[in-house]
Amino acid sequence: MITNNFGYHAPPDLDGVVAALAEARGDVVVLGGGTMIIPDLTHGRASADVVVDLSRAGLSGIREEGDEVVVGATTTYTEVLSDDRAAALVPLLRTLSSGITGGPQIRNKGTIGGSAAYANPCSDVPACLVALGARMRLASAQGVREVPAEEFYTGAFATVRRRDEVLAAIVLPRPDGTAGYTKLKLAESSWPIVTAAVVSRPDGSLRVAIGAVAETPRLIDVEPPSAGVDDPAWRDHVRRAVAAAVPEPWSDLLADGAYRMRVAPAIVARSVARALAAGGEETP
Amino acid sequence: MSQAATRRGPAIGSSVRKADGDVLLTGRGRFVDDITLPGMLHAVVVRSEVAHARIRRIDVTEAERSPGVVLVLTGEQAAEHAGPIPYFIDPAVRGARSVDIRCLAHGTVVYAGQPVAAVVARTRREAEAAARLVRVEYERLPHVLDAEAALAPDAPRVYDEWPDNVVLHRWYGTGDVDAALAGADLVVTETIRTGRTSTAPMEPRGYLASWDRMDDTLTVYGSLQNPHQLRWMVARSLGIDETRIRVVTARVGGAFGLKMQGHPEEVLVCVLSRLAGAPVKWIEDRHESLLLGAREQVHHVEVGMTRDGRITALRDRVIADAGTMTAQAGWAMPNMTATTLSSGYLVPAVQVELHVVVTNKPPLSAARGFGKDSAHFVMERVVDLVARRLGLDPAEVRRANFVPPDRFPYRTPAGLNIDSGDFPGLLDKALKALGYERLRRRQAELREQGRYLGIGLAFELTPESADSPGTFVSGFDVTTVRMSMTGGVTVLTGVTSPGGGNDTGIAQIVADELGVPLEWITVVQGDTDRCPNGFGNFSGRGMVTGGGSAALAARDLRKKIATVGARLLGADPDAVTVADGEVRAGDGRAVPVPEVAAAILTRAFAEASGVEPTLEATRAFKPGNIDHVPDEHGRIQPYPTYSSALHAAVVEVDAETGQTRLLDFVMAHDCGVMINPALVEGQAHGAIAMGVGAALTERLVFDADGRLLSDRFKAYMLPRPADLPVPRLEHQVTPSPYTMYGNKGAGEAGVGGAQAAVANAIEDALAPFGVTVRQVPLTPPVVLALIDEARSS
Repeated sequence: MITNNFGYHAPPDLDGVVAALAEARGDVVVLGGGTMIIPDLTHGRASADVVVDLSRAGLSGIREEGDEVVVGATTTYTEVLSDDRAAALVPLLRTLSSGITGGPQIRNKGTIGGSAAYANPCSDVPACLVALGARMRLASAQGVREVPAEEFYTGAFATVRRRDEVLAAIVLPRPDGTAGYTKLKLAESSWPIVTAAVVSRPDGSLRVAIGAVAETPRLIDVEPPSAGVDDPAWRDHVRRAVAAAVPEPWSDLLADGAYRMRVAPAIVARSVARALAAGGEETP
Repeated sequence: MSQAATRRGPAIGSSVRKADGDVLLTGRGRFVDDITLPGMLHAVVVRSEVAHARIRRIDVTEAERSPGVVLVLTGEQAAEHAGPIPYFIDPAVRGARSVDIRCLAHGTVVYAGQPVAAVVARTRREAEAAARLVRVEYERLPHVLDAEAALAPDAPRVYDEWPDNVVLHRWYGTGDVDAALAGADLVVTETIRTGRTSTAPMEPRGYLASWDRMDDTLTVYGSLQNPHQLRWMVARSLGIDETRIRVVTARVGGAFGLKMQGHPEEVLVCVLSRLAGAPVKWIEDRHESLLLGAREQVHHVEVGMTRDGRITALRDRVIADAGTMTAQAGWAMPNMTATTLSSGYLVPAVQVELHVVVTNKPPLSAARGFGKDSAHFVMERVVDLVARRLGLDPAEVRRANFVPPDRFPYRTPAGLNIDSGDFPGLLDKALKALGYERLRRRQAELREQGRYLGIGLAFELTPESADSPGTFVSGFDVTTVRMSMTGGVTVLTGVTSPGGGNDTGIAQIVADELGVPLEWITVVQGDTDRCPNGFGNFSGRGMVTGGGSAALAARDLRKKIATVGARLLGADPDAVTVADGEVRAGDGRAVPVPEVAAAILTRAFAEASGVEPTLEATRAFKPGNIDHVPDEHGRIQPYPTYSSALHAAVVEVDAETGQTRLLDFVMAHDCGVMINPALVEGQAHGAIAMGVGAALTERLVFDADGRLLSDRFKAYMLPRPADLPVPRLEHQVTPSPYTMYGNKGAGEAGVGGAQAAVANAIEDALAPFGVTVRQVPLTPPVVLALIDEARSS
């Protein structure tokens, strides 16, 4: 139970949000869908002196800006799933959204930006954004800056976002090529244990990001397989690529780092296979 | 005391809808947290953060000053107002050691999570805020978290007053195991472990105590299994007369043994109410509920067998981790493991040595299966090990070792007298439902493609409706059936419902026995002021003892109604029937039952003068087969009935990741005559889910300091619908000769069997690697490690 009183703001637009953040003192919580932060507050794993609620600030929705796709930070997984144009533009987002644990209740509240900013090593969103080459659009009273996703994450639950900044949107370069996504869970209710998001580009190269293997999502340097994804030589190449990108794997109660390192190549292989298959992603 | 199953009416045996279904579905169920009383306060328990320590000091000054706080209580203060909590199962009766269990730790804490203080405030939120301000100073003591380590001579002692960490050390079984092992064609040894799990009902525990200062009485509402026992335990602990206490069981959202009585918070809430002079409510958080363990055991087994698969000897050295002692029944579960080990197999020589050991972990709470689940897991592993060693079909090894259908009643080496059963019949039904031969061929095909399909079988023998003399585990129960002048029937029974629907089943029985429509019947349970002295629910006893006593009481009442009805009709009392709410003369004339009821009360000196004018009957039902006179081996026979089941699980294991997918699950079960098949199936589905969870994902993890890490459902993973196929149930009925209708219990069967079937299926899937399964849960990392181990050896 949340036992302390806290200040609460639900500003009507982005200007209101950055103003509230500029003034806030103490522990500040920026609230998207709350599916992770509210249980943290309830169980005393986090505390809030000020809550800035984004639900009224008009930050949801997916639109095109030139040849880029801009995903509003408070876009829920359900909104992604019901936006057919977005699905056509960024199929990987739809695949990710359809597999979010917890059913309609979580998908209706959980947001792409919320998951991105919360930086849980075991969430689906961060590694996908890295694979897509996303840029994080951060707004504050000082203006707006964009940070590439692979530079955004600094550690478990840690990002470069300053306390006076809000993640307002995620900018995706117009994706070309096909994508594949796989996540390994121990059971339906489990956090992801290993995720692999793969984009196969028109020139044949792969952009591969793994999640939940390290404390932050990692790009790994993987060549496309020349003899199929089950080719032992290629699997060895993937293993080495993972090891090179992950000097220290992530361990938690559900699975230790050794297991994650052990299975990561297989998960990468499955995502590569999906991306290479005609049409890209099937359901994970 | 056996009665042939004569169906008098349409209700018994049919899948009548749950009586309270619409109430539950429309959110009108009143659970304990829905109850509000004027002036009600809220309690929060402060719990130890260390596993073993002396309490140096508790500073409550800041907490007492916190807004809304009415009272802060420490263990030292609590000891002035309450004595030790009486044991649900007295260790002395079982030859076990005991300690005083108090509602708050006094002087020493023995596990992380133990209640050390309590805060009462106007709101839950204020109580929680204040609880964080209670400062406890501990002087740490060495602790031990592993049962085998706790048996070492130099291990830290959990209780100073004990010479070691052994609660109970006992031997079970008969036959010369040494000779049988020496003479066996083959002997297999193995060590098998079950991990610590918890029962996790949807609704956690909660109690609301209301001390009435005006008439010096105490009313306790709670999510409870055993209200009468609670009344007695609170009376003894608080030094109040039992007659001044009323316990009212609210609607219960699942119990599975967690809500049997003996938890410290029960007495604690009563003390708080008395001191605060107001009603006090305590509802636990999930992380508090997950402290309590359901099971954790290590078995060192030796099995002797003939070359053709007959098991000739079984020796098992069991070390059961009880956590710390509890007044609840949890510590006694391993006794049932040892007693049930040989299950439904004809093993001539069995020897089990059991150590129940304390460690500095939270206590066990009674849990569905009550120790039999671990016995099933071990025995079914043993049978599969035998089959694998000899290269035989595990189905046929089971068949070869079953107690044959013509041997019942059959006395096992541990002394259990199995009433009836047809175990090969269950096997046949399960194999047929599976399409076993075809599945084995499919398995071979898939192996060639590098895919690993596995089929696991498990037999389960479930003794139910226990009686343990000198304890609160009683094998009989009592029901009052009462009719109003307008014919409405109230059934007040001593058995309670954890939400499984035994109230519906009891109503069906009364409807048929009394001869009135089901809609006329209301069942009242769980109120010690209204219901006759009974024992609540556990051990699958609801329909055997509650249903049996309801039947007897209903028959008494029916006889009266028939007698007076006949008189009113001018017919022969032996020639009338009572059905559909009427007394019928057989020649077409009839009189409605309400009219007869009215006559009994208003014509007591006239047409109804032939009967005693009480429109109610109270009867107890004692099933047969229970025998507490020790035999020549010192064994007693505490169970009337034995349900049985054959489980079959089909899995596919991903050898790259260790993940297991459960593709199909069949349970061929036999609980004797079924009063309500839909309710039986509901119980089976739930038990199967529990067993699958224990086999695959559920695991309580503690850190090196003895603090629980898996304290929420993202860490302690229960199966969700996507994890389970819809289980397929096959029915078989071998009636019990010892109960009213030939019905047996149906509450527990499924947990042990499902756990074992899934574990066996995984080993079967990975047979090409030569994997041996020795533990549960079989999480993906564990499975991958098993494959690695098999590959390297």
